[in-house]
Amino acid sequence: MKCEWVRENIVLQVYSELADDARHELEQHVARCGDCAAELKAEQEFHALLAQDRAPDPTPNLVADSRMRLQEALETAKQGSVWSRLAFDPAIWLRQVRFSPALASAILILGFAGGVTTTYKFYGSRPTNVAEIQNPNVSAVPTEASITGISSIVQQPGTNQISIKYNTLSTQEAQGSLNDDKIQQLLLYAARNNYNTGVRVDSVDLLSKSTGDMQVREALMYTLQNDTNPGVRLKSLDALGNYVKNDTNVRDAVLRALVNDTNSGVRIEALRLIEPVKADGSVRGVLMALASKDQSTYIKSQARTLLAQLPEID
Amino acid sequence: MPADACSVTLAIGGLAHSKTKSERVDRADRNQDPTRGRMAGQERRIDDTMLIREAQRGSRAAFEELVRHYDQSVLRLALHLTGTEQDAQDVYQDAFLKAYKNIGSFRFECSFYTWIYRIVTNLCLDHLRKRSVRKEDAPVAKDSSGGEYDLLDQVPDGRAGANPERDLMRRQLGARISGALEKLTPRERMVFELKHYHGLKLRTVGEILQTTEETAKNTLFRATQKLRGALADMR
Repeated sequence: MKCEWVRENIVLQVYSELADDARHELEQHVARCGDCAAELKAEQEFHALLAQDRAPDPTPNLVADSRMRLQEALETAKQGSVWSRLAFDPAIWLRQVRFSPALASAILILGFAGGVTTTYKFYGSRPTNVAEIQNPNVSAVPTEASITGISSIVQQPGTNQISIKYNTLSTQEAQGSLNDDKIQQLLLYAARNNYNTGVRVDSVDLLSKSTGDMQVREALMYTLQNDTNPGVRLKSLDALGNYVKNDTNVRDAVLRALVNDTNSGVRIEALRLIEPVKADGSVRGVLMALASKDQSTYIKSQARTLLAQLPEID
Repeated sequence: MPADACSVTLAIGGLAHSKTKSERVDRADRNQDPTRGRMAGQERRIDDTMLIREAQRGSRAAFEELVRHYDQSVLRLALHLTGTEQDAQDVYQDAFLKAYKNIGSFRFECSFYTWIYRIVTNLCLDHLRKRSVRKEDAPVAKDSSGGEYDLLDQVPDGRAGANPERDLMRRQLGARISGALEKLTPRERMVFELKHYHGLKLRTVGEILQTTEETAKNTLFRATQKLRGALADMR
């Protein structure tokens, strides 16, 4: 250890600011170095000399007077508001961001998301493209992947012309008859995927006019089982009503709705629809289950009534 | 910076050179039971935190209570550094008004003690810099009515058996030390003041002066070297 290091640290030793290991080393060195020992002694004597002088405590009068003056000044002083500080001192912002990685990340992410959203809205709000489909079999038929949503479905009064507005990268409009493939595709898409309940109701309503198509029937069964809106489910159920007798898939879908649907209106309608096929084995089983333990007293009694009408099975 | 990083090792108001018996006994007790001292510090911090939050919501009463926790230490520092009651009161008032106006921006990144001392030391450094430009004579002080007196007269001498000769020597020593302190740069003076007269750890001194502990150590070394040189004939 060099004497120079010791002399630089003697003052820290005197003020008890040396780390334990450094203090130990210093003491070891001083024990065998006469010059450094003399320096330490001189520093200690000087420290003792300075210790005889102390900073005066303020007198009680001075403290009281200072407090009184401060209280008077505080009467008229106003605290700076958060907004004014932020508005007028951007350095605070910058310092805050610099020392808060989480906040900085959040601002960056918000900025990025804002930029993306603005860009999307800018391009998305450009004038709606109306694609007059004279020939629906043209290659302009949209694929589901390119459709981001159906915004409206309007049937022109007194005609079978339907106008559908749908969004791809930009909103487009398709026009055609109910039998047009593109219109059908859009209606099916709207029935399954649209976030707008009104659009789904309209699409199911229109699709119910062409339930002969298997695709349409499947779409209606899908909405009956999965749509979150009971109105849409009820419309799907009504549309499927004519096929309960002949299509076992439809019958099963209606039975599932009868057992599982959360809306009692839908269930009652389902019960009404299966009445013509109550003799069916699966229907009978469901009716027996409902008659014994359904929570709805109305459905329970209706199921019992239907079962009573059935001939006894030997 | 975590709040703990700015903790102060001394209790607020616990001065470096407490002379009274009761203070010595209290300090001895604390040395025997460090848990008690820690708990007292934590209680003070919790108390301060509540007061600060109230003050941030606009409560002047809470702020005045905070002032009472710290104002004697602040006044003592300002009085010794500026040398006059008038200047000390100005620093005191400016510091607490500044704290009041900006308490909304206090984010508990360090203790309130460190924060208020930072404000006070900045104001005192400004004062010292102005004075070093003006080359004023320091030891003569002025009271609030404008009359001059020796600052050292303000040091209370409550010791039994104090004799005039010893008192005179003490005053002469004080005057010499004050003269030597005047020769330090404002920053050296501040580091020495906080370390020697207020007994703060150099880590805390660094935080208050917004520098590193290492720089504070170097500054203290330079300050003591200069003082030893200036007071060499007194040893």
